[in-house]
Amino acid sequence: MEYKVEAHRIMSISLGKIYNSRVQRGGIKLHKNLLVSLVLRSARQVYLSDYYAGVCLNAQHIEAKEWELMDADREKLIPASERHVGAEDGRASRLQEKDGDSLDPSDVAVTSPVSPAISETQCGSSDCETDADAAVTEGDSRQPPKDHACSHRKRSAEETGVSETPVKRTKVTPNAIVANNEIEEGEEMDTSNVSNLITIFGSGFSGLLSKDSAKSESETDDSDSGSGQICCEQMLKNLNPWTTAIVAF
Amino acid sequence: MNGQKKSVALSSGTKPLSLGVWGEESPCGDAETAVGGNVVEDLGDHLGELYSILSFNSTGELLATGDKGGRVVVFQREQESKNQPQRRGEYNVYSTFQSHEPEFDYLKSLEIEEKINKIRWLPQQNAAYFLLSTNDKTVKLWKISERDKRPEGYNLKDEDGRIRDPATITSLRVPVLRPMDLMVEATPRRVFSNGHTYHINSISVNSDCETYMSTDDLRINLWHLEITNRSFNIVDIKPANMEELTEVITAAEFHPHQCNTFVYSSSKGSIRLCDMRASALCDNHSKFFEEPEDPSNRSFFSEIISSISDVKFSHSGRYLMTRDYLTVKVWDLNMESKPLETYQVHDYLRSKLCSLYENDCIFDKFECVWNGSDSVIMTGSYNNFFRMFDRNTKRDVTLEASRENSKPRAVLKPRKVCVGGKRRKDEISVDSLDFSKKILHTTWHPSENIIAVAATNNLYIFQDKVN
Repeated sequence: MEYKVEAHRIMSISLGKIYNSRVQRGGIKLHKNLLVSLVLRSARQVYLSDYYAGVCLNAQHIEAKEWELMDADREKLIPASERHVGAEDGRASRLQEKDGDSLDPSDVAVTSPVSPAISETQCGSSDCETDADAAVTEGDSRQPPKDHACSHRKRSAEETGVSETPVKRTKVTPNAIVANNEIEEGEEMDTSNVSNLITIFGSGFSGLLSKDSAKSESETDDSDSGSGQICCEQMLKNLNPWTTAIVAF
Repeated sequence: MNGQKKSVALSSGTKPLSLGVWGEESPCGDAETAVGGNVVEDLGDHLGELYSILSFNSTGELLATGDKGGRVVVFQREQESKNQPQRRGEYNVYSTFQSHEPEFDYLKSLEIEEKINKIRWLPQQNAAYFLLSTNDKTVKLWKISERDKRPEGYNLKDEDGRIRDPATITSLRVPVLRPMDLMVEATPRRVFSNGHTYHINSISVNSDCETYMSTDDLRINLWHLEITNRSFNIVDIKPANMEELTEVITAAEFHPHQCNTFVYSSSKGSIRLCDMRASALCDNHSKFFEEPEDPSNRSFFSEIISSISDVKFSHSGRYLMTRDYLTVKVWDLNMESKPLETYQVHDYLRSKLCSLYENDCIFDKFECVWNGSDSVIMTGSYNNFFRMFDRNTKRDVTLEASRENSKPRAVLKPRKVCVGGKRRKDEISVDSLDFSKKILHTTWHPSENIIAVAATNNLYIFQDKVN
């Protein structure tokens, strides 16, 4: 539990640093911001893994079955040229068995547990844009036609990450590919605002780049309070200029 | 030159490492005259500008310093005189000039800092001195020359410079050069601009004395010293999609003897050695130096502390030294799998990484330096401490650069940080360390045991004590 608090704190600090770097004299420092984003990602992994620890206790077996099902679905939908990605998925699914809670922030993609898919099936939304959070990726996979287009785009960006670091994955890794869909997520969330913001930082800077103002406005409503939240709200409100800065940079 | 001084590194046998502080007998306060071992110049008077770089030239006669305000101050070593044999050559201010001014990039609406990031001297080829200085975006070549004669006896103008009425000129004379007070001028000879999109972090002069390279976060450019409107890109690690960015270049240096070889370090803790003969674009390295990470030391901040802040070839060209946040490593160019030696600079900070992340100290970029014979390496730490490691005897020492501890002619006392348990009398505990007092920049004379240490806005020069 302390890990979660610590991770939360580190995430807040990191976001504050990124926010402050915008107003620093001399422009945004690429090196420092890259390092801060890596720390942010590590903290997020710990935070989310801890959050879903309770939910995923009994879900391991079901995961495997769902994953095979998902694989089969994908195989049908993915054009031949993309088949090799399916092969990677297969490899990734074998790594499900891998246990251990060592952090691995060097992963380019996010590895978040698949299990909450069970809870997310009640989501009911058909648009991948409205999926709730990182763990919803399984929910995404249930609407293959929709996420097919989304995931392709991100998959190409993430493929190198997956192929280079298959051994390093600790949690269920199919989401390495599917998890990119979290970037498309929308407003309704049942988790804290911090988690949502963390998902924005899905992979590298892509989370920032793909976020648009419509989503940021809708996400500002939340139930939690605390300095981390305030920081995140500020962050969200200022996401647009930040996006511009990143693109310009 | 004093024939008694030691040319070997610090320690010998059981004698403890020590560096003598050489100084005048009478206290000189804040005088600008260089007192070996005492404060050379207190920049506190100059709007609190902080030193940002130090560099000895190839003979060690000159020491250049750059600061956050874009100013360069060059110190020159005094010629030793027989009258005062105990003064082994102090460093006095030789030239001061404003190298860079703040600029504004209108396209990106960004201010460009005037802070001097790096200074590198060119090998001396005539009476004038040349150095390269750079801020985030622009490299400049400065010529520092002396003028001790001036022409007198012009026909068309008088001594004040006023034009003479031609009607009053009745005879012609030839102007002659007459001695004058020595004047040191610094003039910008070349400006190498618009070469970098990202912030320049290093420059390195090639051993061919014709080219140099400038390095930013993602690219390395090769310039010819005579040509300012063209440069060649030799390394480009920018990904096609910036979202995939995972590492940046943190430092680069040419091999001291092989003009085709250079290395660059990354934020992931790896070093790549490239050979420019292999291809025009050196994206593919010839050698890749990386030490596998110790999984037991994993933390949120593992990536940050493995980012290399400085890389330096040994004078021999056989070894490479890298500095990351907690260690200094010496690599053998022939062994890529792991470093030859690893020295812990301040391992007691490993448990404090979270606090250091909060106060931004974890992003501090420490430099490291070899002594002339490559037997001792030195780097800075916090609380105005700096550390020296003798590679042969494996002894190390922690010294402090501060006004209170540096009386004239005093010998620097080794310091010790207490990591736990009972603190002894002279030790300082980790929690008492002042993290605002950091020594990022240190440099060593190329052939003698003279070091320059920048502590915030004070510059210290220490010399080896001669018995």
